[in-house]
Parts: sequence; C-alpha cells; structure tokens
Amino acid sequence: MKTLSVVVAGTGDIKDLEIQPGTTAGDVLHQLALPDYLLSKGPNEPFFAAAESIYDKVKGGEKIFASTKAEVGTTVCA
Amino acid sequence: MRIRELGSRPAPASLREMFSRFTRGQAPAIRVQRRQIPYWQERGWTQQGNTYSGNYQTPYGAFQGWIEQDRSGRINFYLNNPSDAIRGHSHWTCFQHRNNDWFLIHMGREPKDVSSGIMTIERLIKEAYE
Repeated sequence: MKTLSVVVAGTGDIKDLEIQPGTTAGDVLHQLALPDYLLSKGPNEPFFAAAESIYDKVKGGEKIFASTKAEVGTTVCA
Repeated sequence: MRIRELGSRPAPASLREMFSRFTRGQAPAIRVQRRQIPYWQERGWTQQGNTYSGNYQTPYGAFQGWIEQDRSGRINFYLNNPSDAIRGHSHWTCFQHRNNDWFLIHMGREPKDVSSGIMTIERLIKEAYE
C-alpha cells in the first residue's frame, strides 16, 4: 500500500488516498468522482493514461495533480 | 599525580541540546497544516476581478501571462511576447495576435478552470523547447 495526495488543481482541494499495486489512474479518478480530469505529477510530466497503473510510478506520500482535460487548438489550428 | 586539570570550557551547543533532550524527553510533534490553494495561486498568479496575471512557469523559464474569464464563463489565455521557440511549435497557428505583444491562445478543448489551462500552456511551452 502507498499513500498518495491528489491535488485538484482548480480548487486546491487535497484528497488523501491509499492505493494498492495495480491501481490505475482511472481507478483513482473514479474513486474521487472526477471523470473529466487527468492525473499527472505536474505540468512538466505527461498525463497518466486512464488504464495505466500508477502504483509503481509514484512514491509513497507523493502529491500529484488532477486537472481538467484541455488542449491548445488541435482540432482547429494544427 | 598523573592527571592535571588545566581548566574547563562549555560543551558545544549541539551536545548541550542533545543532553537536554535526553533529560526533558522529546517535544511533541508540531502538526503542519497543508495549504489547500488552487494551482494558479500556488504558482504566484494574482487575481483581480475576473482577470489573472502571472507567469507560466516551466523548466525553461517563466513566461508572462494574462487570463480573463468572461461573463459566459469562457476563459481566455494570453501569452506576452512568445519566444522564437514557441513561435516554432506546431501549434503556433493557435496563437492569435491581439494588441502590443499579447497573443490569445486558442483552446481546441477548453479547460474548466484557470489552473488546468495554466498547466496546459506550461506543458505546451515545455514541448516547444524540447
């Protein structure tokens, strides 16, 4: 088991969780009722895919961010 | 006499502190409260009414930004004087020149809050430098 703190970027709310091996980013977002969000270690790190196990990618007690999905104009500009 | 006392001097502060702890016991731990603040605030942005000003912060530097939230709730993100690296990014066409050196960043998928938008733009700037 590892402890994890998920910071909801928009509000600053911190949710403390305990995760087991194999826990995915999707599991965490589902548990927190944040379906339109993505998890990441911060803006300098990639987002975790929903099906990606995060247990091995975070340290115990680490703080990660939940932010809403956003993209700079992919559909219109690029 | 085999031993001769030459004098005495005070023990170092670190030793005195250690012995003092043994005699008085460990002080109770102080619980430090975590700050629960939005990402924009944590990154030093300031809010004035429906506008925010601050810097998009990346490992490659801080880039001056400005954000406005209109009455409909739509959030517009601006970047001041984008660098050559940003102008060379594949999404440069999403930057629309406004006045002076300010550029509006067009969001194909709009964030639901200011913080998520800042994180998105910080990601894009980082990509531009990689």
